[in-house]
Amino acid sequence: METTYTPKKNMNLLFAAMILVGIIALVAGFVSDAQRTWANILLNNYFFITLAIGGLLFYSIQFITNSGWSAIIQRVPQSLGAFLPVGAILMLLLYFGLPSVYEWAQPGITETDKLIAHKAPFLNVPFFMIRILIYFALFIGIGYLLRKYALLQDKSDDLKYFNKSRYFSQVFIFVAAIFFSFASKDWIMTIDSHWYSTLFGFRNMVLSMYYGVAAIVLITLYLRSQGYFREVNDAHFHDLARYLFRFSIVWGYLWFMQFIIIWYANIPELTVYYEPRFLGSWQPLFYGEMFINFVIPFLVMMSDDLGKKPKVLLYISLLLMVGLWMNIYMQIMPGIFDTMKFGFVEAGLWIGYAGLFLGVVFLALGKASLVPKHHPFMEESLHHHI
Amino acid sequence: MTNIVAKFRDEAKLVSALTMLKNNKVNLVDVYGPYATHDILKKVTRESRMPYASVLYGIFAIVFIFGFMYYTSVIDYPLSYGGKPIFSFPPMVIVIFLFTILLTTILTVLTFHARANIFPGKPLKNPDPAITDDTFALVIGQNYNPEEIKEWLKESGADEITEKEIQ
Repeated sequence: METTYTPKKNMNLLFAAMILVGIIALVAGFVSDAQRTWANILLNNYFFITLAIGGLLFYSIQFITNSGWSAIIQRVPQSLGAFLPVGAILMLLLYFGLPSVYEWAQPGITETDKLIAHKAPFLNVPFFMIRILIYFALFIGIGYLLRKYALLQDKSDDLKYFNKSRYFSQVFIFVAAIFFSFASKDWIMTIDSHWYSTLFGFRNMVLSMYYGVAAIVLITLYLRSQGYFREVNDAHFHDLARYLFRFSIVWGYLWFMQFIIIWYANIPELTVYYEPRFLGSWQPLFYGEMFINFVIPFLVMMSDDLGKKPKVLLYISLLLMVGLWMNIYMQIMPGIFDTMKFGFVEAGLWIGYAGLFLGVVFLALGKASLVPKHHPFMEESLHHHI
Repeated sequence: MTNIVAKFRDEAKLVSALTMLKNNKVNLVDVYGPYATHDILKKVTRESRMPYASVLYGIFAIVFIFGFMYYTSVIDYPLSYGGKPIFSFPPMVIVIFLFTILLTTILTVLTFHARANIFPGKPLKNPDPAITDDTFALVIGQNYNPEEIKEWLKESGADEITEKEIQ
C-alpha cells in the first residue's frame, strides 16, 4: 500500500502558473472595473471556503456515524480543510473592498436608507470584520484539533486520540451548522441588504456538503490515477455516488423551497430578490443552475450501475464544480450588477484561486501519511464491498 | 415432496455452502434468514427488474398528475386566485413530487406482492420459527443425489440438517 504522497515535479509549477493567471486577472480587473473584481474575489473566497467546510463536515460525519468504509480516504476531506487559514486571510482582505460589494457598507448610506439604518447595529463594518474573525477562529481551531488528533493517532496504538477526534467531530458539526449558516448570511445574503430569507443559511450550510463530496471525488480519482489508493474500489465510489445523489435531492428541495414560498406569497420585499433572477436578464442562469445542480446529477445517479462507474462520477463532479460556481454567481452578482458579466476577470480569478486551493490541499496531503494508520475501521474499509 | 432443510447459525458458512451448491447445479428452493444479506441475495436471486418497473410507474404518475391538474385548473375550471396566471407551474411541482412518490410506492408494493405471490392470509411457509431469530435456513428441492448434498452441507458447517415437506 502506497502511504506517502509525493507530488509530481511539474504539479507545483502548474499551480504556480494558475496562481499567476489569477494575479494577472486580478490586476487587469482592478485596472478595468474594481467593483466587479471585488465581487469576484468574494465569489471565489466563498467557493473554496464552501469546499473546505464541506470536506470537514464530511470528515466529521464519518466519525459520528461510525462509518468504516471511508477510513481509507479520510485524509482527502481533512486536507480540504487546510484551505481555511488561507481563506481567512483572503476573506479579511475583503475589508478594502466592502463598499463595492455591500450596499450597507457604503459611507453615508444610513442617512438616506432607513431600512439599512435600522439594521446598522448588526450590519456595520467593524462588527462584520469581528464576525469574520470569530467564524474563522472556530473553524480553524476545531479543524486544527481534528488534524492534530488524526496525526497523533498515526503514531499510537491507543484509541484515545480516535475518541478525541470523534468528540471534536461532534463539536464541529454543531459549530459548522450554526456558524457557517451565519457566515453565509453575513457574506452573501447581506449583498441584497433589503431582502432576507430564513432558509438561506441552512441552505448554504447543507450545500457545502454536496460540493465538498464532489471535490473529494475529484481528488480521490486523481490520486487513484497516479497509483495511490489502489484499495479504493467500486463500492467506495458507489457510496460517494450515493452521497451525491442524496444531496442533489436536498439541493433541489431547498432551492425550490426558497423560491416557491416567495413566489406564492408575492410580497414585494421578498420578490425583489427573484425579480431579476427569475424574470430579468439572469433567467438563463436561473434555469441553467437548476439543470446542472439538480436535474442532471439526479437522473444520472438514479441508476445504480452508472453511479458506480468512476468515469461517470468524474464528469458529474466536474459538472458540479461548474454548478457551484453558477450557484454562488447567481447569489452574489444580481444584487450588485444589472447585467451578466463573464470574461477574463471571472475565469482568470477562478483559475488563480483553484491553483492556490489545490496547492494548499496537496501540500497538506503530502505532509502526512495518505492512509490513516492505526485507524480502528481500516480493515473494514480495505475490504469494503456491497 | 420432501425437502432438505439445512440450518446455519453462521452467515459466512451459509454463503460458502451456497457457492458450492450453485457450482454443482443443485436445485435450490429458497433461503430464509432473519435479515437481508447482499451476498445471499446476489447468489440466490436473479437481478431484480423492480427498479425499472418503479421508473415506469414514476413517469406514469408524473404524466397522470400533471394532466389531471392541467385539466382541472386550466381547461375545466380556470379560476384566478392570488393574481397568479391560470397555468402556473411552480405550485404544481409539490403536488407532482408528492403524488409521484405515493403512486410509485403503492404500485411498486402491489407489483412486488403480485410477483412474489404474497397476499394477506397466505399460509406460513417458514421451515423453522428460528429463522425469525438468529438462524439461516437453506431449503433444497428434489435432486437426484440427496445423500451427497447432505454430505456437502455437513462439510460446509451446517448446524442441523433435516427433511421436511414445504409447500
